[in-house]
Amino acid sequence: MNVRFLASKEKKEIIEQLDEQFGISELPYLLIETGKEKIRGFSGTMSKDEIMELGRLARIEIIGLYAIKRELQGEMRLSFDATQILKDKITRNIVKINDEQLHEWIRGRDLLIKGEKGLVVIQHNQDFIGCGASNGEKIFNYIPKERRIRK
Amino acid sequence: MAYDMKPLFRERMEKLLPKKEDFEKFEKIVHTSPRNFIRCNTLKITSHELYERLKKRWNVSQPFPSAPEIMVIESELGPGELGNALEHLLGYYYVQELSSMLSVLALNPQPGEFVLDVCASPGSKTTQIAAKMENQGTLIANDVRTDRIKILSSNLERCGISNSIITQNDGVVLCERLSKTDFKFDKILLDAPCSGEGTLRSSPKTFVMWNPKVIKNLSRQQKKLFANAVKCLKVGGQIVYSTCTHAPEENEEVVDFALSNFPLHLESIHLPVKCRPGVKDWEDKHYSKEVEHTCRIYPQDNDSEGFFVSKFTLKEEIKA
Repeated sequence: MNVRFLASKEKKEIIEQLDEQFGISELPYLLIETGKEKIRGFSGTMSKDEIMELGRLARIEIIGLYAIKRELQGEMRLSFDATQILKDKITRNIVKINDEQLHEWIRGRDLLIKGEKGLVVIQHNQDFIGCGASNGEKIFNYIPKERRIRK
Repeated sequence: MAYDMKPLFRERMEKLLPKKEDFEKFEKIVHTSPRNFIRCNTLKITSHELYERLKKRWNVSQPFPSAPEIMVIESELGPGELGNALEHLLGYYYVQELSSMLSVLALNPQPGEFVLDVCASPGSKTTQIAAKMENQGTLIANDVRTDRIKILSSNLERCGISNSIITQNDGVVLCERLSKTDFKFDKILLDAPCSGEGTLRSSPKTFVMWNPKVIKNLSRQQKKLFANAVKCLKVGGQIVYSTCTHAPEENEEVVDFALSNFPLHLESIHLPVKCRPGVKDWEDKHYSKEVEHTCRIYPQDNDSEGFFVSKFTLKEEIKA
C-alpha cells in the first residue's frame, strides 16, 4: 500500500484549515495520505513503526477511515462519513436543508441554495449528510454514488 | 424456488435432531425466509435514537434488553427496502442476521484491545467488533480475496470505522507470520469458511451445493486456521471459533482438536438466545466432554439461521 504518514507539522496545518472552514479544532487521529490527495484517519493504538512492521509481514490494503480530500485551492473537503463521525466538532459553514431538499440531495442532485462560495457541510435535522461545494448560486453534490438513494 | 434436502444431509440432520417433531420443525423453517434483523451502528447513532426513527416507518422491536442494538423489522418489506433506506446509507444500521451477531457477543471485545478478525469479509462482524471497541484499540481485519476486500472496505467506510487496518492475506499465512513476532492479540475472531448448512433460509442454493466431501476438506482447513490463529493470542487472551454450519466435523471436531493440541480453556458462553450444547459423539468419533460448553444454534429454536459458537482462553504460552 502506498501511504505516507503525515508529520505533526502537516497535521497542524490541516487542523488549522479545518478550523477555519468548519470550526474543527482537533482531530484525534493518526493522519495518513494515500493517492489522489486523500487523507485517512486512524484512531487505533498502533504506532507508525508498528504499522510499518505489520506491513512487512502482511499486505496492508487500507488503514483507518477516509476522512479528508485536499482540494486544489487548499481547502479540505470532509468525506461523507467524516461529516458524521465529526459532527459534534463541526460548527461552521453548515447548510441546513429541509425535507424537500433532502429528497434531492440524497439522490445525488445539486441544490439551488445561494450562499458563500466554498465547501459546506449539509445538515438535515440531526443528520450530517456529507459536503457540498457552493459557487454562490448552488451547492454541488459530492455524495458518493453508492451512498445515494436509488430511484 | 423450493429445494429438497439431499438424502445424506437429511440423514445427518435427523441424527443431530433425533426427536421427530424437532426435525420436522427444522425442515419446515429452513424453507421459509429469515426475519429482517438489523444491528444499530452505535458509532454513529444510539440504539434508542435509531429505534425512535425507524418505528415511525416500520413495525420494529428490540427483542433483547441486554443487546438493544439488535432490532427486528416485523413489517413486510419491499425488495431492497432495508438497503435503500436513508438510515442505511448513513451507516446507522447494518443488515445482519441474528445468528451472525452471536460470535461477537461471545467475543465481547472492549475499547483499547488489540483484536484480529481472521476471515473478516463482508464485514458484518468486523463492524460489530469496532462498534463494541468504540473505535478505540486496534482491529486487524483480514481476508484473502480482492473482491471480498472491496466489500469489506466499503462496509467499514459506511459504518465509520477508524481503528481498523485491512490486510489481504491467506489467513493461515498471516497468522503463521504474526505468531513469530511480538504482535499478540487480546481477542481473535475466527469465523471460519464453512459448508454453510445454517444459511439455508437466506441462501437456499446451499441445498443443492451441499456435498459431504467439502465438509471433510473444510474441517482440515479449519483446524489449520485455528492452529495458526491461536498462536497469535496473548496468554489470557480469548479466541472465538464460529461457523454457520451444523456439521460436527466443522464444529466440535475442530474444538476437540484445539483442546487436544493447545493449552486452552473452553469457556461457557452466555448468549441471549436458546443454545444447545455441542455434540460429544458423531459417527465413529468421540469428542472431549468439554465440547458441551459450545453453542449450537438451530433455526427452529430462535426463528433465526443456524450457527455454532465456541470460545477459548489461552492458559499459558504455546510451546513451539
